[in-house]
Amino acid sequence: MGAAVVGAAALAGGIAFYQHVETAAPRDGSAVLALVLPDVDGRQQSLSQWRGKVLVVNFWATWCAPCREEMPHFIAAQAKDGAKGLQFVGIAVDQVDKVRDFAQEIRLNYPALIGGLGAIELSKALGNELAALPFTIILDRGGGVVHTQLGPLKAAQLDALLDRLLTSP
Amino acid sequence: MTRQKSLRSPWLRATNGISAGSRRRLGLVERSLAALAALAFGTAIAAGLPGLAPKLLPPEQAFRFSARVLDPATIEARFDVADGYYLYRDKLRFTAEPVQVLPVDLPRGQRKHDEFFGDVETYRGAVTVRLPLASAASGGTLVLHADSQGCADAGVCYPPNPQKLTLVVPANGAKPGPFVEAAPRGLFR
Repeated sequence: MGAAVVGAAALAGGIAFYQHVETAAPRDGSAVLALVLPDVDGRQQSLSQWRGKVLVVNFWATWCAPCREEMPHFIAAQAKDGAKGLQFVGIAVDQVDKVRDFAQEIRLNYPALIGGLGAIELSKALGNELAALPFTIILDRGGGVVHTQLGPLKAAQLDALLDRLLTSP
Repeated sequence: MTRQKSLRSPWLRATNGISAGSRRRLGLVERSLAALAALAFGTAIAAGLPGLAPKLLPPEQAFRFSARVLDPATIEARFDVADGYYLYRDKLRFTAEPVQVLPVDLPRGQRKHDEFFGDVETYRGAVTVRLPLASAASGGTLVLHADSQGCADAGVCYPPNPQKLTLVVPANGAKPGPFVEAAPRGLFR
């Protein structure tokens, strides 16, 4: 009985449950690139226009505090490495007006698209069964999914990931 | 000297506690080793062996919704929020049919300063809310809908999560009815 308690205590030791998947071989990202979603001005945007970029697709919402908190670092990374082929795309599971207001307030420098059921289904298909936020998918220049993460992406972790992807051919 | 021929292994003899001659209790060393093994096993799981890391709870388990009839014109709704999760007070909504829910006095929650939304209030643990009904629902059934939105401390938020349950309102409402759960626990959950 004592042994069981000790084991259970170790298991319950407050470990975060981010599910991140480091794929050895990139998975096919064509479903991601095939997404077509409206931006805050109502114009349809196809993700395929960013084929060839290191694409960071981030599912978020204004009502998701952890989502908002990681965005300033995304903005900084976009400004710094956009010229090297880095492209962030935000998919907001949210109302247009709220997204537009927030995008203006934080001076978002990458596209904010409005995601509906289709986007939610895609995030589920890529491992986000509960459609929780934030959820991030990273594609390499070849269009392969090299990383997915449920939960915030810490600055150091993101920088390390992007460094590798941006310097590879 | 007698010997139990069917139990040649000293280990078997020890666990069966049989023949006095070769019996040993599980000593301190054995119990410590068992505890260490359990600790190592638990830690390995917690450290996130692929596929074994603790998972995010589905919203109906993170935010368990239940309700009971207090009297024919009053429902008591309850949320049991799991440890490490919280609900937003201003996102809680209750509706019902066929009888309407009147404006509700939500209990105060814990104040949390949000950079974008200002001061928000959150609920943790058990929260009960009295729902007055527009008219008595005696002798019928009532479907109660709860809309809630919540997050996990670990930094993840759920989309709006509608749940519902059905209550039977007794004809004479002598005493409060039993709690009905929206998502009853299975035997093995």
